Amino acid sequence: MTQNDTYDAIIVGAGHNGLTTGCYLAKAGLRTLIVEKNDWIGGAAVSRSLHDGWTYSNCSYVCSLLRREIVRDLDLPRFGLQVIPYEGGATFTGDGDYFAYMSDHDALRREIARHSPRDVDAYDRFAQTVMRQCRFIRPFLLRNAPDPTSLHPRDLGELAFLVKQAHGLGARELGETIRFWTMSIGDFLDEHFESDLIKAHLAGSGIIGTGLGVYSPGTAYVLLHHYMGDVDGSIGAWGFARGGMGAISNALGQAFAEAGGEIRTGAGIDRFRVRDGKIVGIALENGDTYDAPIVASNMDVKRTFLRHVDRACIPDDFHKAVTRFKIRGSSAKINIALDRMPAFPAAPPNAPFLRGDLHCSTSLAELERGYDDWKDGRWSAEPYFDMLIPSQIDPTMAPAGQHMMTVFVQYAPYDLEVDGVRSGANWTDGARDALADCVYEKMQQAIPDIRDRIVHSEVRTPLDIEREVGLTEGNIFQGELTFDQLLFNRPVPGYADYSTPIDGLYMVGSSSHPGGGVMAAPGANAAREILRRAGRGRKMPRLAS
Amino acid sequence: MSGVFDAVVIGAGHNGLAAAATLARAGMRVLVVERAKTVGGMAKTVDWGAGAKGPEIAHLLYNLSPAVTRDLKLSLDTRSLPTIALSPDGAHAVMDGASLIFAAGGMHPQAADYAALHERLCRFAAFLGQLSDKPPPSLAGGLASLRDIGGMARLGLGLKRMGKADMREFLRVILSNAHDLILDELPDGPIAGALAADAVRGVWAGPRGPGSVFTLLYRMGQGGGAALPIGGIGAVTDALARAATTAGAELRFGAGVASVEVEADTVRGVTLEDGTKIAATAVLSSLAPLPSLHLAGAAHFDVETTRRARKVRAKGTVAKLNIVLKSAPDIPGLTDAQTAGRLIVAPSAAYVESAFNPVKYGAVSKHPVIEAVIPSLTDPSLCDGDRQVLSAVVQYVPHTPEGGWTDAGRAALTRRIIDTLAAYMPGLPELIEGKTLLTPADIEHLTGAPGGHWHHAEMSIDQLLTVRPMNGMARYAFGVSGLYLCGASAHPGGDVTGSPGPNAARRLLQERSA
Ligand SMILES: Cc1cc2nc3c(=O)[nH]c(=O)nc-3n(C[C@H](O)[C@H](O)[C@H](O)COP(=O)(O)OP(=O)(O)OC[C@H]3O[C@@H](n4cnc5c(N)ncnc54)[C@H](O)[C@@H]3O)c2cc1C
Ligand SMILES: Cc1cc2nc3c(=O)[nH]c(=O)nc-3n(C[C@H](O)[C@H](O)[C@H](O)COP(=O)(O)OP(=O)(O)OC[C@H]3O[C@@H](n4cnc5c(N)ncnc54)[C@H](O)[C@@H]3O)c2cc1C
Repeated sequence: MTQNDTYDAIIVGAGHNGLTTGCYLAKAGLRTLIVEKNDWIGGAAVSRSLHDGWTYSNCSYVCSLLRREIVRDLDLPRFGLQVIPYEGGATFTGDGDYFAYMSDHDALRREIARHSPRDVDAYDRFAQTVMRQCRFIRPFLLRNAPDPTSLHPRDLGELAFLVKQAHGLGARELGETIRFWTMSIGDFLDEHFESDLIKAHLAGSGIIGTGLGVYSPGTAYVLLHHYMGDVDGSIGAWGFARGGMGAISNALGQAFAEAGGEIRTGAGIDRFRVRDGKIVGIALENGDTYDAPIVASNMDVKRTFLRHVDRACIPDDFHKAVTRFKIRGSSAKINIALDRMPAFPAAPPNAPFLRGDLHCSTSLAELERGYDDWKDGRWSAEPYFDMLIPSQIDPTMAPAGQHMMTVFVQYAPYDLEVDGVRSGANWTDGARDALADCVYEKMQQAIPDIRDRIVHSEVRTPLDIEREVGLTEGNIFQGELTFDQLLFNRPVPGYADYSTPIDGLYMVGSSSHPGGGVMAAPGANAAREILRRAGRGRKMPRLAS
Repeated sequence: MSGVFDAVVIGAGHNGLAAAATLARAGMRVLVVERAKTVGGMAKTVDWGAGAKGPEIAHLLYNLSPAVTRDLKLSLDTRSLPTIALSPDGAHAVMDGASLIFAAGGMHPQAADYAALHERLCRFAAFLGQLSDKPPPSLAGGLASLRDIGGMARLGLGLKRMGKADMREFLRVILSNAHDLILDELPDGPIAGALAADAVRGVWAGPRGPGSVFTLLYRMGQGGGAALPIGGIGAVTDALARAATTAGAELRFGAGVASVEVEADTVRGVTLEDGTKIAATAVLSSLAPLPSLHLAGAAHFDVETTRRARKVRAKGTVAKLNIVLKSAPDIPGLTDAQTAGRLIVAPSAAYVESAFNPVKYGAVSKHPVIEAVIPSLTDPSLCDGDRQVLSAVVQYVPHTPEGGWTDAGRAALTRRIIDTLAAYMPGLPELIEGKTLLTPADIEHLTGAPGGHWHHAEMSIDQLLTVRPMNGMARYAFGVSGLYLCGASAHPGGDVTGSPGPNAARRLLQERSA
């Protein structure tokens, strides 16, 4: 028996952005339904138990970008959300040394001096610039991106806001801002530092999740994308969500339920139903249909329009823009259950920095070579990875005395090359194992006995991420964070305001401004836009400055 | 020589000369001092030996500003050349303006898509080109200056030819990468390769690097063609030298500048390497920021400016191979007229990107990207008898490879270039009578350009427009009162455009009349 029902609004996808939009719509009094293809909610912000006693943050693993205003507004702590900051990190070299990052300023200066005395002051300059750029960008996250080609008062208002923010900078600062936004993280670090190791330690954030190398212009911005968040107001800090990243989605799910929203899992959409250019509802794969005058897609823009919307319903130029939207997979993920805390022979016993993000890439050239491999359809022969052992801080993640390790791997292509053919289909079990093996090999730089510590592991290729989360090509941001796909260009020029050519259909996922990461900003911004157009704008709290 | 010059111009490259001509025409008393024995800088016609002449470094005109030709009344004899996209399978293509055909005749399957892409790029390039003959927007008025650009968009070409949809598309692509832009429209192959090669020629970037659309549009500012000056590229600098001297400017050769004299934060003149002192109230330097700063003395600049000048990136990636041939090479699949075209070895955009990889680590491309031309086929005056000259611009070659340039390294590079060309010109090795290789290090030595860089300073977005060559120094005035940058490192950038020189000169004239 198929079902049907009528709602005020339907959201397709229970990723954290879809849930966020849902919360605001439900709180504004709209009868709202969220449908999700998986049997669980959260999309790429999810915790799952795949091995007895261990909890994995399968995809995203650390939290910082989640907008404070939204957490407060939706009262997420009341629904169990607790973010525990972690501090420090390290990069291990091949010769038994390491560079440790510590939040204590004096300790950090000593550590930098140990490697490169001239870089001590450089670090302060670097940190100041990044912090200044973070302060500049943060107010824009919870606003619509201004459309510079529009003369509409609302766009002019956003432009005026931009001008006002920028004006405070002065000519020199403005010049530096333009440079920062357009340069590569490699060039930026080369301008500041001498030590290869220190540069490599800092560069990772510029390439995570992208199809760019450390010397590709625009990667300094990507770094910013990872530094502009905060934990408890401490800008640039990162933390663990207690219970894994799923805790964020679960808190949002509960807030949504409390506001009267309904979630249906195991309910994949087949198509968006459109009549005369207007959305009328959705049809699920199981045949159920639901009607609503407002429908929002949490899926990425490609999946939404190329798979679930009838081609005849969208204009050619929009279709073309979506087709060429760049959404390249470049990351893999390994989640590991460890039988005990692994030994890091290079580090002092119980070094606090082991509770932070750990790496083994020791030069910008090594990172750039990793990118060259990816361009040619191979995973990096010497991959960069960002690994953490959250169970040191959050004991809920693993049985007592045992540990959980999360390893984010850059670069791994979606369309793996085998015998001259590039295709996702080349990700066989053998290829997946070989990738993991390559990562463990490199990881021995830090943890020589890593292979003996593994009780269970989950290796996720870009193809796996696409299949499970629905992120096209496994791109973690629902679309590259390059200039042509940021701000007023995201996801498609002219549609940066969460609307689409189909009346009543909205884009609320990370494909929209300000982009990917567990930030909830696209979801909240989209909700504001939806409510405004529905004449319920006053029901949306003012989040932005 | 006695008395005080209104302006001394350092360097008789095409920009120094164009600056001098502009100032002299405005009535200033101008002296150009050049370290070398002749004018030209990177744009010279020189003796290649064996009874042949040819372009030493630069060889073609892509984007010479029509405003400069007009204002300085240059009369140039040039021939526009079609672009020949060489294909490993012999199905070479001829790209001429928006037209694309097979060299052997016949419709090219990508013709329509190429024409549409070319037309769109030219429109954007023309829009961008408007910014070339003026100083870049200033940041002094905060972001209001970016409204300058918006204003220009609406008032200038913008409103007439660029509608809202175009403007949107322009803003989408302008900071993005050529690889994606091209491959969104064309399959990868020699056509995409030729465009990708144009996008990155002279810069330290591959076509996948964001910013390569900008450099492509920069090169296409005058329609995207290439013209061969009769008499070699030196004919252009000779014409500029005549324009300068006719207007009353003096040129002095073998006159390298040792220092720029500064007193009380104001320029007083220059001292030559032989100790001669020349007094002047303004000095225009066609050198890059750091050498210019060193000439004036770092003590006259604040620490921040010195730091920025030192950080200006200029990693040269282009070598030049000049070959004297016994006779014209045969290129199977091309007619004689096509053989005289601009020959591009860049079989695909992916090839160009792969060629970029090694230079990032200080090595030479295994399979280089080449732009070759045989100018003597169009301009027989360059050679005696049957001889021909082949001029090859070769990418990517590091300034100095790991371990430095050795004879063996130079020979290996030369062989690699010849082998790459010989794949299309089977008899080439047997025709060679003489050859000269110029590595980026050689080019730096010859011209003083940091890194031997084509543009004197990298053409990446963070060193363009309002921040070219460096933040706070974008509008020609260079720190010390009376000192200006007038060469390729200044806005809009390198190539034989003739734009930075006159822009700098006008800045000086404006300040004097104010
Ligand atoms: C491996 C990995 C690591 C990451 N690490 C971090 C990190 O540490 N920190 C951070 O801030 N960000 C990280 N990110 C990025 C971040 O997780 C994502 O950008 C973000 O979670 C995307 O959220 P979203 O709500 O926009 O979309 P998604 O989470 O992609 O949600 C889309 C939802 O739509 C559902 N869906 C798809 N198809 C259908 C259909 N046909 N019918 C119904 N529902 C459908 C999906 O199942 C999913 O639930 C990571 C991402 C990945 C993949
Ligand atoms: C291999 C190569 C090929 C190129 N091919 C082309 C091409 O085909 N088409 C094109 O448009 N562009 C080409 N370019 C780029 C173009 O040649 C340059 O961007 C342009 O010529 C720069 O002109 P300029 O006047 O600014 O500087 P330059 O031509 O470099 O002139 C600077 C002058 O200053 C002089 N000088 C230096 N130091 C001193 C001193 N202390 N005192 C006095 N004089 C000094 C030098 O001798 C030189 O004459 C090429 C560049 C390279 C490297």
